Amino acid sequence: MSVNNRDPLVVGGVIGDVLERFTRSIDLRVTYGQREVTNGLDIRPSQIINKPRVEIGGEDLRNFYTLVMVDPDVPSPSNPHLREYLHWLVTDIPATTGTNFGNEIVSYESPRPTSGIHRLVLVLFRQLGRQTVYEPGWRPQFNTREFAALYNLGLPVAAVYFNCQRDNGCGGRRT
Amino acid sequence: MLSSAKHKINHSDFSISSSTSSSLSHSLSQAKNMTQVTMEEEWKEINLASLHQHRQLNIDHEPVLSNQNPNKSIFQDFLNKPLNQEPPPSSSSTHHGSLLAPPATVISLNTHSIDTHFDESAMFGCFGKKRGQDSDDSRGDRRHKRMTKNRESAARSRARKQERAYTNELELEIVHLQKENARLKRQEEQMQLKKAEATQHQTKKILQWSLTSPF
Repeated sequence: MSVNNRDPLVVGGVIGDVLERFTRSIDLRVTYGQREVTNGLDIRPSQIINKPRVEIGGEDLRNFYTLVMVDPDVPSPSNPHLREYLHWLVTDIPATTGTNFGNEIVSYESPRPTSGIHRLVLVLFRQLGRQTVYEPGWRPQFNTREFAALYNLGLPVAAVYFNCQRDNGCGGRRT
Repeated sequence: MLSSAKHKINHSDFSISSSTSSSLSHSLSQAKNMTQVTMEEEWKEINLASLHQHRQLNIDHEPVLSNQNPNKSIFQDFLNKPLNQEPPPSSSSTHHGSLLAPPATVISLNTHSIDTHFDESAMFGCFGKKRGQDSDDSRGDRRHKRMTKNRESAARSRARKQERAYTNELELEIVHLQKENARLKRQEEQMQLKKAEATQHQTKKILQWSLTSPF
């Protein structure tokens, strides 16, 4: 199913700020503890200290996938001049398995936004082959589009995002 | 680091005679030990120092620098200039961009030259809202920028709200579809059963018929 204008990824600006339009073709299931991440869900940093469980679909075990997790709203959504911050990068994930079976080339760093409500985006790409992706070397000012172009990853096959603000944030509402 | 309180510094007649680096630093050091100057000039000094640091002294800025008019209009010129210029082609292609590239607001100038973690409220505090010498222009500008940012923030809030609504809608639809699916399956099962019964019955009848046919 391709992304339409009411799709949360479009409404939330993920398509545009981070990704191009794409067609979902692989299942992507991200779970922090007991909570499955659905688009736009509000999660606090204390709930995402440890890496989530990520399970992917697909059918052919010979296909390998890369998972990227970025924050495009650094240091704050109103002034995101450090866009994007790379939180996690796992490659060589075989279809039907999960990140535990992949190669964690950039370790999971738990998000700790200080200012504003940040989007945290998880994107799945299909690799052309195995071990064809290398670590970028730094986390801030990562560019998912360029990264995908560099390694011929093409358009995403799946993506999901959630919202995160600091633990004692007011939810964007002045009281 | 700029403090949030308005403050005046003792400067001399703030003068910059040329754009070369040595005279720039000379006049900056000269500026440290003399009469009153307003925040605009201190700000100009800092910006010029960063300009020098980033090696982005642009020929076009010389007229501004050498114009020794220390009143607030020069500040306006300095602000307005970058908005009309193209970024110099030789500028570094880092994400931070050139200070001379159209920074949409004074705020972004602030961010790039001072500290990337500068809190927005502190930035406004530096400029202060009640500076008697401010022209209406720059005050209106700041208000306009603030309004824009507020509008963007409101748009983001609405987008978040909209997605929540959409997700809820979808969840409800899933539940509805699951129920309907279950109902339709049951219905089909029953129909299959009936059909099976009916054909059985039919076969019996035919057999009876044949058995009782008169020959």
